[in-house]
Amino acid sequence: MAGRRLTRRHVLPWLGVPPLVALVLLFILPIIWMVSTSFQAGEKMYQLTTEWIPQVWHPENYPNALSRSAFPLFFLNSAIVSLAVMVGNVVFCTLAGYGLAKYRFPGDRFVLLAILSTLMLPMEVTLVPTFLIVHKLGWLNTYQGIFAPLLVDAFGIFLMRQFILRIPSDYIEAARIDGLGEFGILWRIIVPQCKSAIAVLAIFAFRDSWDQFLWPLVVVSRDEFRTYPLGLVRFGEDYGNPPTEQMAIAVLATIPVFVLFMLLQRFVKTGFGLSGLKG
Amino acid sequence: MQTQTETLSRCSALTRVRLSYRQRIRAWGIGFILPAILFFAFFKYGPMLWAFWLSFTSYDMVGTPRLVGFDNFTSVVHDPVFIQALNNTLVYIAGSTALITLIALLLALAVSQRVPGSRAYMSGMFLSNVMPIVAVCLVWRFLLHPHGLVNQMLSPLGLGRIDWLTDTSLAMPAIVGVTVWRFAPYFMVVFVAAIMAIPSDFYEAAEIDGAARWGRFRHITIPLIMPQVFFVIVVSALLSARIFLMPFLITGGGPGGATRVLSMLVYETGFSYMKMGRAAAISVALFAIALVFTVLQMRLFMRGEED
Repeated sequence: MAGRRLTRRHVLPWLGVPPLVALVLLFILPIIWMVSTSFQAGEKMYQLTTEWIPQVWHPENYPNALSRSAFPLFFLNSAIVSLAVMVGNVVFCTLAGYGLAKYRFPGDRFVLLAILSTLMLPMEVTLVPTFLIVHKLGWLNTYQGIFAPLLVDAFGIFLMRQFILRIPSDYIEAARIDGLGEFGILWRIIVPQCKSAIAVLAIFAFRDSWDQFLWPLVVVSRDEFRTYPLGLVRFGEDYGNPPTEQMAIAVLATIPVFVLFMLLQRFVKTGFGLSGLKG
Repeated sequence: MQTQTETLSRCSALTRVRLSYRQRIRAWGIGFILPAILFFAFFKYGPMLWAFWLSFTSYDMVGTPRLVGFDNFTSVVHDPVFIQALNNTLVYIAGSTALITLIALLLALAVSQRVPGSRAYMSGMFLSNVMPIVAVCLVWRFLLHPHGLVNQMLSPLGLGRIDWLTDTSLAMPAIVGVTVWRFAPYFMVVFVAAIMAIPSDFYEAAEIDGAARWGRFRHITIPLIMPQVFFVIVVSALLSARIFLMPFLITGGGPGGATRVLSMLVYETGFSYMKMGRAAAISVALFAIALVFTVLQMRLFMRGEED
């Protein structure tokens, strides 16, 4: 009797495995398709059945794609812009989040509301005037023109504020009595306790900037400053460029984000659980 | 008497020193926030005001803006292309928000069952969120091709060739489908975190009281994750309002403008036709939509913070 119950309890959960695996497959099939297509011969794209494992592997799609257009440069441009956006968000959102969480001053609540209100002003809404500002600054076709309007995000500030609110103010008071300056408190007391929130902020800031399309499309018209999404779309529009090579670039573009998520996964888990925020 | 005044003056000196010390601390706090405030003033509120002003002008980047009163608004409102784009945007927001929330919740429930390897399923599904959005669009454009993978997989159902991207009534649902594929796993993680945070005693107590699986879900899980449900609805609506790249790359706004959304219309009007004033007037509509969801979101964020 006892033995039967034990096996039932052991077997039952496994019944949930096949449907879940099917569900996961549904989500990763397009990704597998992308990877497998990137190794296919160009003409296989137009077959009526999908050949999941290439009969003949064509790894040369990768170097061919990279040499057909200035993709190494486009990737470098994207990396420069995304790293700048990531650093900007980590620095400014941590500073502002700390200021809003642990300091009281007249109008502090209004400032918080004013910052959160900027969520109603995404780039898509302010596209025209932001373009005109960057144009007036002479920043069209420059790195700063691409990253400057993305340097601080209200969501990031809110995330950091919520996280820092949980740190007891007694720590801060104690550090003040010990003679630590305000910046020293931020650096030595707050930042070490916010690693997971900072990791979440860094990943999403990098990812969002790595994904940017509309803004670079508007401010960049010269090849030297083109980011990879612009290059990739243009590559597809040029007649004669095989879609398999386009997929090769798409795979290469996925790798940095994938690596970043793998490296910081540990932090993301806790950061996500605590915030559940950041869209 | 003398000692008393001495103590008093020392006291007041002390408070004065303390006050300025407090003020110094406060100045640091303001200093920490200042860069962000300046940034938002320059890149958010400034452009917002400029956009409002521009929307009353005619401006083509050559010469100076010319005030035209409400002309942009009246002509935009009577433009069937604008009405269609507004309609598309609202349909897209409603469709993708509803489906993202529902499917994210179902996925979260599936993953949080006691099944071996639940973390692995979560990570697997989350991969759709790791792929760059431009890659998502390019891949799905091929998958939704008449001879693409989607139709190949549906062929056992005998539906024949479905023109996902060139059929007026299917193009928008297809874009919504890609959006759900992209974002549902992301919001699933939010729901899983909330479900995992529910103490298991709640369920055990309900089980003892004889509550069935559905009853436990309806009376324990759902009420306890309601804040996250609202959060996901509002955030995905705000996200959907900004959609640009998916219709731009997958369908190019077609067929016949069936997937042209407001952000695309702003881009085309401003940067293809160089009508900056008119583009600003169209972006006011986008602003109004974003405003509604931002207000809802702020109420959500500030809940329980009323002093």
